[in-house]
Amino acid sequence: MIGVQAVPEAATAIRTIGLSKRYHRVTALSEATITVPEGRISALIGPNGAGKTTLLRLLAGLTRPTGGEMTVNGGIPRQDPAFLAGIGFLAQEVPLYRRLSAEDHIRAGAHLNPCWDGVSVRERLAALAIPVDRAVGTLSGGQRAQVALALTLAKRPRLLLLDEPVAALDPLARRNFLAILADAVAAGGLTVVLSSHLVADAERVCDHIIMLAASRVQLCGDIDTLLAEHQILVGPRKDTSAIERDHRVVQLTRTPRQVTMLVRRNGPVIDPAFAVSDVSLEELVLAYMGQDAPPTLARLTSIGDSE
Amino acid sequence: MTWLVWRLHRTQLYIAAALLAALTVLLLVTGLQMASQYHSALAACAASHSCANLASTLFLGSHAVGFGVIMTLGVPALFGLFWGAPLVASELETGTSQFAWMQTVTRKHWLAVTAGWMLLAAAAWGGAVSGLVTWWSGPDNALQLDQFKPGRFDIMGIVPVGYALFAMALGLCAGALLRRTLPALAVTLAGFIVVRAVITVWLRPHYLSAVTVTYKLFSPFTPTGSYWQLAQGVLNPAGRLVPAANGLAIDGVPVGSLPSACAAPASGLQPPGPACRQALAAFHGFITYQPASRYWAFQGIEFGIFAALATVLIAVTAVMLLRRDV
Repeated sequence: MIGVQAVPEAATAIRTIGLSKRYHRVTALSEATITVPEGRISALIGPNGAGKTTLLRLLAGLTRPTGGEMTVNGGIPRQDPAFLAGIGFLAQEVPLYRRLSAEDHIRAGAHLNPCWDGVSVRERLAALAIPVDRAVGTLSGGQRAQVALALTLAKRPRLLLLDEPVAALDPLARRNFLAILADAVAAGGLTVVLSSHLVADAERVCDHIIMLAASRVQLCGDIDTLLAEHQILVGPRKDTSAIERDHRVVQLTRTPRQVTMLVRRNGPVIDPAFAVSDVSLEELVLAYMGQDAPPTLARLTSIGDSE
Repeated sequence: MTWLVWRLHRTQLYIAAALLAALTVLLLVTGLQMASQYHSALAACAASHSCANLASTLFLGSHAVGFGVIMTLGVPALFGLFWGAPLVASELETGTSQFAWMQTVTRKHWLAVTAGWMLLAAAAWGGAVSGLVTWWSGPDNALQLDQFKPGRFDIMGIVPVGYALFAMALGLCAGALLRRTLPALAVTLAGFIVVRAVITVWLRPHYLSAVTVTYKLFSPFTPTGSYWQLAQGVLNPAGRLVPAANGLAIDGVPVGSLPSACAAPASGLQPPGPACRQALAAFHGFITYQPASRYWAFQGIEFGIFAALATVLIAVTAVMLLRRDV
């Protein structure tokens, strides 16, 4: 690597190939191949039990894969200070020592990390009016989450892995937190993967998405690119094989009168019989999740029926 | 890392220090009383040449304190229960391990420092309690010569340090294996009791091959010092063990096993006649024991066994935390 300067755009924070994790007979993650370029805020979206936590724990080195490869911050997740220094991981249950105060945690962090920004934690908690001298067990769930997030950021990681970080926050705190995250990424040198089952969170700050469903990666890429690649086609109920041949149909809904398709297109759709419209992130996510009755598409279908 | 260990466990440390201080005061006060009681009794019996049966006439200290001292048998288990078992188990149970292990500290380092301090604390406390009890028991040991016997052996010398290390390591290992505090507590307690009992009953008597001495019934043999008697009995002329005397007996030979020359009258025993004495001469008494001189060898062996068990348990803990998913 000496003398080779990676081109910033090409640098990847996370790259996995066929990453799998099986617990006894249960497959938690199957053949996950993803790439997250540096500097992105990536939304890890999927229903409960899709394998989001497993993927994050694999990337953090807390769990070992049963198959596949991964590179995180240019190295393999391992028990090594150099690797650990680059990773910030916040588990869903917001693990903090309940009897210790935030101040204790800040001091512990200073003892445990070579590069520790305790000042930022104190400032952030002061701004949120969260007491640093009380046992964190006595704080509210949202306050605890804020403390844990501030501590995770204080480690100054290159890659931040957050498992449902905003689940415990009220809408205002949620917005505030996502703004902090966006600022931190904008300042440079930070990549974030945050899991959520809410698309709204992803839409607000994320520019990259990893979609998991049924232990498999359904979709991975930059949100803008993915939105540009997908379109909804609504047209008369006729032979759709021409479209299915040229494009990849993600979801197809037929009613007696018409057909609605969400396609990943290869080039422009040239069939005047179909009305082409852009797809929203939520529509895209729901289509890939393969839910039986995605509300948005169901609405489209019913409109078509009534005509 | 040391700072975090201190911050997380300082309350337990303070409590342990307070309990140790209380025990120290109690044993110092009663120990000094017992020592002066023993020395004045010794001076008194020397003056009247009646020291031979001092052990049966003198009772040192009080029953309550003596009982308390015997209860220090359980002290090592407390380390395993209150320090060892919750240490890893509660971290895994509450998920705080994910805080500690996602700092710039490897799990190996975390375990080495945490377990290192905990084992050191257990050894220090176990050693302090044992030292106090050993000092306190000095006059009683000199009087009763029973420091080698199970129950006394286990609370003095260096073995309590070995038990404390073992209990701590057992707690850590159970916590790492079971990942939940309550089951880890139960397994630690049960495991500690079972291992201690098995080793005391089945293994300890055989650390060194026991000495057996046979003697004539009319000149009984008593080993010197604080020996540990494993077996004693009477063999008939055929070399068979005579059932233990339980009632009327002559020289330890119960009525039912007496030779015909000693035919006992219906009511009570007469002093044996010459014929009876001659017949009894073919009987032998025997005693199987560990000599008093082996006391420290046994202490060393037992300490070594428990230290080795602790090492194995710590190794298993390390494998659980470093090799498996956490």
